[in-house]
Amino acid sequence: MKRIETPPFKLKSSRKNIRIMISVIFLLTALGLQASAGGLLRGEIAMSNKGPLNKLLTVNIDVHGKVVSDAGTPLAGVSITLEGTTSGTSTDAEGNYSINAPENGTLVFSYVGYATQTISINSRAVIDVTLAREASALDAVVVVGYGTQRKIDVTGSVANVKGEVISKQSSYNPLSALQGQVAGVQVANSGTPGAPPKLTIRGVGTVYGNTDPLYVVDGVWYNDVSFLNNSDIESISVLKDASSESIYGIRAANGVVLITTKKGKRNGKSVINYNGFVGNQVVTNQVKMATGPEYAQMINEVYALNGSPALYADPSSYGTTDWYHLILRNAFVTNNQISVNGGGEKSTYNFSLGYYHQDGLVKKNGFDKYSVHVSNDYQVTDFLKVGVNTTGILSNSDDAPGGIFYALFNAAPIVPAFYSDGSYGDPADYNIASANQKNPQQSIDYINHTTKTWKLNGNVYADVKFLKNFNFHTSVGGDFQQAEIRGYTPFTNYNYIPVALRNTHSVLSFERDETRNWILENTLTFDKRFGDHSVKVLAGQGAQQYKFYKLNGSVQDVPEGSSTEYISLGNPGSATVTDEGSLDRVTSYFGRVNYSYQDKYLVTGSLRADGSSKFSNTWGYFPSVGIGWVISKEKFFENQHLFNNLKLRGSWGRVGNLSVPANLSILTATQTPALVYVGGDGSSAPGASINTVVPPTTTWEVGEGTDVGLDAALLKNKLNVELDWYNKKTVNAIFAIPVLGSVGTVSGTIVGNQATFQNQGFEFLATWKDDINKDWQYSISANGGYNQNKVLSVSSGGNPIYDFLGANVITRTMVGQPIGQFFGREVVGIFQSAADIASYTNKNGTIIQPTAKPGDFKYKDMNDDGVIDDKDRVPLGNPNPKFVYGINTTLTYKRFDLTLDFQGVSGVSIYNGNFALRFGGENYTQDFYDNRWHGEGTSNVYPSVNVAGNNSYTNSFFVEDGSYFRIRNAQLGYTVIGNKEHSLFSNLRVYVNAQNPFTWFSYRGFTPEVQASSPTEQGIDQQVYPLYATYNFGVNLTF
Amino acid sequence: MNTININIKKTSATIGLLSGIFLFGCTKSFLEVPPQAQKPVEQFWKTQADATAAVNAMYANTRGWTFVSFAPMAVESLASDDAATGSDPTDGSVAFMDQFDNFTVTSTNRELPDFWNGMYQEINYCNQVIDNIPNIDMDATLQTRYIAEAKFLRAFSYFRLVRAFGDVPLRMHLPKDASEYNMPRTPEAEVWAAIEQDLTDAEAVLPPSYSGPDVGRATKGAAQALHAKVALYQKKWADVVNYTNLVMQSNLYSLVPDFEKQYRIPNENNSESIYEIQCTYLPNNSAASNSQYSQIQQPRGGFTGNGWGYNIPTQDLVDAFEPDDPRLNGTILFRGSTSAEGDLIPLTAVNPRYNYKSYVPFSIYVDDNSGSDQNVRVLRYSDVLLMNAEANNELGNTAAALASLEQVRKRARTFAIANGAPSTTLPEVTTTDQSALRNAIYHERRVELAMDFDSRYFDVIRQGRAAQVFGPLGWKANKNEVWPIPQSEIDNSFGVLTQNPGY
Repeated sequence: MKRIETPPFKLKSSRKNIRIMISVIFLLTALGLQASAGGLLRGEIAMSNKGPLNKLLTVNIDVHGKVVSDAGTPLAGVSITLEGTTSGTSTDAEGNYSINAPENGTLVFSYVGYATQTISINSRAVIDVTLAREASALDAVVVVGYGTQRKIDVTGSVANVKGEVISKQSSYNPLSALQGQVAGVQVANSGTPGAPPKLTIRGVGTVYGNTDPLYVVDGVWYNDVSFLNNSDIESISVLKDASSESIYGIRAANGVVLITTKKGKRNGKSVINYNGFVGNQVVTNQVKMATGPEYAQMINEVYALNGSPALYADPSSYGTTDWYHLILRNAFVTNNQISVNGGGEKSTYNFSLGYYHQDGLVKKNGFDKYSVHVSNDYQVTDFLKVGVNTTGILSNSDDAPGGIFYALFNAAPIVPAFYSDGSYGDPADYNIASANQKNPQQSIDYINHTTKTWKLNGNVYADVKFLKNFNFHTSVGGDFQQAEIRGYTPFTNYNYIPVALRNTHSVLSFERDETRNWILENTLTFDKRFGDHSVKVLAGQGAQQYKFYKLNGSVQDVPEGSSTEYISLGNPGSATVTDEGSLDRVTSYFGRVNYSYQDKYLVTGSLRADGSSKFSNTWGYFPSVGIGWVISKEKFFENQHLFNNLKLRGSWGRVGNLSVPANLSILTATQTPALVYVGGDGSSAPGASINTVVPPTTTWEVGEGTDVGLDAALLKNKLNVELDWYNKKTVNAIFAIPVLGSVGTVSGTIVGNQATFQNQGFEFLATWKDDINKDWQYSISANGGYNQNKVLSVSSGGNPIYDFLGANVITRTMVGQPIGQFFGREVVGIFQSAADIASYTNKNGTIIQPTAKPGDFKYKDMNDDGVIDDKDRVPLGNPNPKFVYGINTTLTYKRFDLTLDFQGVSGVSIYNGNFALRFGGENYTQDFYDNRWHGEGTSNVYPSVNVAGNNSYTNSFFVEDGSYFRIRNAQLGYTVIGNKEHSLFSNLRVYVNAQNPFTWFSYRGFTPEVQASSPTEQGIDQQVYPLYATYNFGVNLTF
Repeated sequence: MNTININIKKTSATIGLLSGIFLFGCTKSFLEVPPQAQKPVEQFWKTQADATAAVNAMYANTRGWTFVSFAPMAVESLASDDAATGSDPTDGSVAFMDQFDNFTVTSTNRELPDFWNGMYQEINYCNQVIDNIPNIDMDATLQTRYIAEAKFLRAFSYFRLVRAFGDVPLRMHLPKDASEYNMPRTPEAEVWAAIEQDLTDAEAVLPPSYSGPDVGRATKGAAQALHAKVALYQKKWADVVNYTNLVMQSNLYSLVPDFEKQYRIPNENNSESIYEIQCTYLPNNSAASNSQYSQIQQPRGGFTGNGWGYNIPTQDLVDAFEPDDPRLNGTILFRGSTSAEGDLIPLTAVNPRYNYKSYVPFSIYVDDNSGSDQNVRVLRYSDVLLMNAEANNELGNTAAALASLEQVRKRARTFAIANGAPSTTLPEVTTTDQSALRNAIYHERRVELAMDFDSRYFDVIRQGRAAQVFGPLGWKANKNEVWPIPQSEIDNSFGVLTQNPGY
């Protein structure tokens, strides 16, 4: 039913007509309207609408007053709107306001950080308001699995980050913005444009599978959320304990991140938002490399140490090519997003368009993303609501040459990028070892590699409310992606290209990846309060399918030109096609009961059953239970003033991990090109055989977690504290253990449910929010997570599992130790002379390192057997960070706002793999040149330049402290146009932002933020993207 | 508005329908998803094509990294006085390869498990064939031949294991389940007996030769020649004579006049080659063109066709050749010299000498694994002749010994004189003194077979001369007769496997 707007009704007259006026009043009163004659003597009649015809006629009055905070300070800029309309005003610097409003109207007072108050005018002309600080975060509603809950009712460990925190940051991926924001969540960013960050929640809990958390966006499950724009996000919830996660049983072992996107508001005004920034990315903490003369001198030293004559007669005669300077640049970045949202009586809408562009730090490398996001819902009938969320993405990347950072680090500085005749500098002309025949300039000039990605995902859903307390929700979601990766290596058999870099055939390669996933879920909820008892019951059912297909094709000799897009243009004899795919399905049943008594005693119980096609034992069952006690609601707590809220909670639950390979216990025949038979006549024929062994059965990898926590709000809700202790075990972990070589398998391992890991830790979050006075407000928040990772058991017993990466880096995973610890020889010094080598003996007088040369590492003979070999290896460091923390502050002064976020990691080791990986002729760092051993007494820490052979074995010299502390984000904003100050713009804010401007660390590589390729290869630095800072200028504009 | 309402109704109807389907749908078949793009073992071992594929895989594996490349180079060649590690001092791999060269190997050297696993991987491919093919309904002749081919390759793999490690686990069938994975070492004598049985079985079935795509498969002659070698290592002289005679009397093999040319790609599978591992270059298919036998030994430096420069001939080997022996320049490619194809090995090459027998001309395609086209000569007719000479001499059949030896010397001599060498080059050996003749045969084996795939290191140990020949290089008696069992294998066996003495 349409509400009839009250027209302004004011009669003005001169005194002469006072009789007529009085007559009118009587008339109106007779009609049932109550007229006020307060202004009669001024010739005015105002009318209130309390009578029967009040819907037709209303009288406006002037209302004024003062708005102060609960601390008594006047609040400037408080927004005052007349409910149901778009008209409004705001308070001045002294907190005063005045508004002309219907005397029976309602005013809404809202101010950021304060609880909104709705006050009926009731014909009052003066309304003074005291706004209370927004209630504690505990009263806020948070998104939990399959629903929302008041924070105060949550019995598990759920962290919530608001959209505004995310949208403030200039990261490409919203998950990057979580860095330093959530206790116990480690975020490791990759510098590659468009690449997602790696999230580790409460430590590494799985080894042989995907370690990413489950991401649920508006109810649809994803492995990657880089399709989202930061400003599309309403809120992010991170489920950290097993009881909160277990409702997502199947895939929750690495944590669950629930993301809600922004929706329009019912009966709201249409709002147009523009958010955008432009900026520059600048390499920081650049590692300085040795100069040409220094390089030549060091290569001569290598040769001398190996008894060979000097390679370079006059090292000082060489020039220096600074490859980093040539190939890297300050990279431009811009992000633009425009959104329109609003809603009518029965529907809401939110529509946004985004464009993101990032240049790579490497020349020619770049990334573009175009996105569309739509959310709509419709109240079809009183009981039925339907809606749709959908996102479409198109991204294009001009890729950097593979291994370019490794090449920049290694390329010989004595080789010029170009000779004077324009041909490329040829490493062979400088006798550079064959393994290092690189000219990065040539790589950059000839790179022709692109990745295009299309994504369409989202869901449609319906809610049916019935019998008052029941709600049936059904949703069908999908994730469809296609990636096309095209590479063209041109024919380069030309004289101006160095011999080692020539290609005698061009190669065109195509890779087409397709993802087609769908998820269907139905839930039924019952929510009712019976006196002191509050009950919420959820029952659900779902099914999912994950399908992936990859097709690779390549061919030689496609002529260079406009149509190098087709394999059919190449030499058919060289065409190859390979493909691979995966398909798995899940079906699930789940339920949860929340019960609370007097909002004081809380109990949550849930159970999920998932059947997966991946395992021979199909079904997994994941129960959980959580309890909470809101101590502050007890009688004995009534008379204290320190705590506004105090809650103790504890939980236990089981979760599963589906992110492991499928069908592990099905033995399959292998058919690979390496098994192709070659006949004596040059013909070939396919080969296939069995070259693996499998376990008889496989079942779910199960996470089992216990969490004990305390939530408290103190000092008038100014201080909020959350503390958690947890113990998270992964049992039946899918793990590869070695199989005896004599079995003859190719991989040398058998993969099955063979290990148990544990992550145990402690987390805290403390937030302090206060206003000093009306001009100054600030908040400071600190969070930290301490985690200890340990292997509890492996079916191979005490035998360690090694992981080899590259030539020499070795990690060890074994019982009683953390996953993937660095393992190698312990350096006790540097051999200074032949006499020193001869005198390094064991107890029997055996010379321990007889083949060593002066300048070599002196290794500790752990077993005192007189030789140094792998039996002398010891743990060298732990790549699992012990402590991750963040400090987030905001400060507001009048129209200025300042955000400063700090973030750090400590108690972690990095393996400086760039440095130890040597095949001959690589460059060294300036630091190494300055500190290297180059004669007796020059160093007892750094080895000689001969970092090969015995010196390249995994050893303690290469293991470094990876702790760092950084200014994560610094943003200064100024609100040019505040709330409704302008008829067109309701808000205009400009800001400058610096992301990662300063990072402090002692590590000798480029950045201590090393993304792990797998849990047993964590913290190994091999050709990482350098650390960079981003400086932006941005605008937030609302119409 | 109407349109929207209709869509909404359709959508909700669809949702409701789908919900219904999955609420009451058949869960069991929904969750049965077969492995993607892979053939479950139940669908394999069904047809003749499956049998052929499995035999193909067994051959394909022999050109792989662990069967003919780095680890075999370390375990079977570097330690001899003919070969040195080579490469560049700045290359990180030199250190663990050097441990073989200078006899400082410990049980944790990474090439040991590579070699060990490489042989057992091949044995697994063979056992797959031997255990499963008898159950396939297929052409009976082909069936028995496939099994015989597998027995040849299994024998070859065990032969390389037993001489490298002594007692080794002898696995003649596939393990039934995990309880059969961990096998103790079988006494050496039993391993030798099993090898001989496999070869006896293979000889009875294998054809004397093949044509077309089958060229390169194991022949009767290959099995006999290998059997002779297996007997030679056990000093079963009569057997050596017997099996070498069978090969010699088959009239299928003869020496190629130009010693050097027999190793070049156009002359693959020539009359002198008794068993040769087939390798090829398939354009744009580096996974199938995966033999690195040649690449690891190619000259090293920044020039076209360069390789890794490992397993280089020593000066000691150079000095071993008699004056004007054409086999010197057919075996060693010297820095600064030019190959027969006109490739100059520049003076900037890192090492002074390279193995010419594995060399691939620079003009052959080099984008992927350079030299992947080069076949690996495993057994040559001259080896058979020299085995025949040695065994006959041990048995006192001096004339027969001299005749076989002379065949080998004559080929070299004839070529040398034809190319301008004095007529006194490589004079015929005429001594009838058993000991002198033995030494002459040992010398001939060294220069004839130097830097071949199967060459000198274990030959000298077998001859009982290792302390004398390799002693100055660091070889120690009662230790270096065999290499250490890989430590990782001992650890993973929980002590079921024991270490060789001295390690």
